[in-house]
Amino acid sequence: MSQRKSYAVGTGLFIVLGFAALAYLATQTSSVANSHQGSSYTVDAQFANIGALKERAPVKVAGVRVGQVQSITLEPGKDVADVTLSIDNKYNQIPTDSVATIYTSGLLGDQYVGLQFGGAKTYVANGGHIGLTKSSAPLEEMLGKFLGSGGAADAIGGTYSVRADFTNVGTLSVGAPVKMAGVAIGSVASIKADPVKLDATVTLSIDKKYNQIPDDSSVSIFTSGLIGSQYVAIQPGGSPNSLKDGDQLVLTQSAMQLEDLIGKFLVNGSPSGGNNAGGNGSSNTPAGKH
Amino acid sequence: MSAQMPHKSIVVQSLAQIGNCGLFLLRILAAVPSSLRHVRETVRQLWFVGAMSLTIIMTCGLFVGMVLGLQLYHVLAIFGGTSATGSVVALAIYRELGPVVTALLFAGRAGTSITAEIGLMRATDQIAAMEMMAVDPIAYVATPRFLAGVIAMPLLCCVFCAMGIFGGHLVGVSWLGIDNGTFWSNMTANVDVWDDIINGVMWKSIAFGAVVSLIAVFQGYTTPPTSEGVAYATTRTVVSSSIAILALDFVLTAFLM
Repeated sequence: MSQRKSYAVGTGLFIVLGFAALAYLATQTSSVANSHQGSSYTVDAQFANIGALKERAPVKVAGVRVGQVQSITLEPGKDVADVTLSIDNKYNQIPTDSVATIYTSGLLGDQYVGLQFGGAKTYVANGGHIGLTKSSAPLEEMLGKFLGSGGAADAIGGTYSVRADFTNVGTLSVGAPVKMAGVAIGSVASIKADPVKLDATVTLSIDKKYNQIPDDSSVSIFTSGLIGSQYVAIQPGGSPNSLKDGDQLVLTQSAMQLEDLIGKFLVNGSPSGGNNAGGNGSSNTPAGKH
Repeated sequence: MSAQMPHKSIVVQSLAQIGNCGLFLLRILAAVPSSLRHVRETVRQLWFVGAMSLTIIMTCGLFVGMVLGLQLYHVLAIFGGTSATGSVVALAIYRELGPVVTALLFAGRAGTSITAEIGLMRATDQIAAMEMMAVDPIAYVATPRFLAGVIAMPLLCCVFCAMGIFGGHLVGVSWLGIDNGTFWSNMTANVDVWDDIINGVMWKSIAFGAVVSLIAVFQGYTTPPTSEGVAYATTRTVVSSSIAILALDFVLTAFLM
């Protein structure tokens, strides 16, 4: 009888252990998980865009983890997300004018909340609020900043159109940025083939802010980097008259084919110079330029 | 010519084997109500196939989780995605490794001993004796072991998965230095209770438990009553269980996904 009792108890323990494991899997490792920490306090922050921030994502100060995101809620009728940060009690001296920013670890990594301390002598208390926040920057926006195509978006004051004819637009696409001195000032509105002159007519729509561009400026199609997207660059000329809506830019330089570009590197800029003397030494030049 | 005959007979034999196995399953299921009178026997079997298998299940789960964490960390590091280690470990364990490895271990640890035990009962005429005493051997011997297997497998699988996650956490966070919160937040964000835990872990392991214990009981019950026959039956339990588990895994994955 006592032996029977012992295996009954053992079996009961086994069943309890199995269900405990199931409960653990279901609640702690899956999406219904609710986090609870030992000693921590909560701080609110409001973000216009949380990007891909998730609950339990780390909160960091100077790159060191001090807590985690407790909850992310959106109040109906508001267009800002309420993010509750649960911060370790050890780190209870966060100035009230600190800035909370949503960062991404690496290019593909996860998002986390970074806190930059302000200079205030008062500290955020439990249930307090961090007023200064910087939202997550979507990848497109960040890339846009790199490539300079962000300018097309702030053409709030209206745009004016300028034509330019190219013999070859390469892979230029509608919406590609128009840059002057590397700064985006507009975008490509349309690309059409001219049925008579048999070349490409590109319409550039330029922000009205930039209405002082000389009318003898030259316009070229460039590639950002070796394999980047193409954009239109305007090099200002010296004319006292500035471009107006509907004008045409006459001095154009068409898109370079990659083969042409590499050819130029290899033969030091002279397309007809078949001399391959520089060929060996300059094999890494394109990478260097990139 | 001589090669064709055994080939044909193997096909016919295995078809007959599968058919007998199916009929045996019906007999086991029909005996479930009367085996409830021997519920203590089911508990004893649950202790034997479930609780006694915990050590091997937990050890193997821990190491499977650890090796997954180690492997994935180094592969994901190539893409700068080591923070995904937690979720990939969890998904791999829940969807495939947990149920399959647990079932294979279960077949090796519990299935063989069920086959050997019933086979020896058969060889030593204990089953015939039961029939003579008007005790239904299916209800007293086969069904409790089958039920115990069906109940024990999901529980063992849950323990295996929990140990696997623990192992992955041990290697990923404690050893390789992935952020603890990222590890868990990624996991909780990507693991779905219904898709991964109910469908992945529970249904699969219940099905595997049924298949493994059916094969084990059937092989033991139909073994030739010789010591050689018991040895063959035990081997066949492991071989056919393994094949059935992996084939069924594919079918279940296709259906449950």
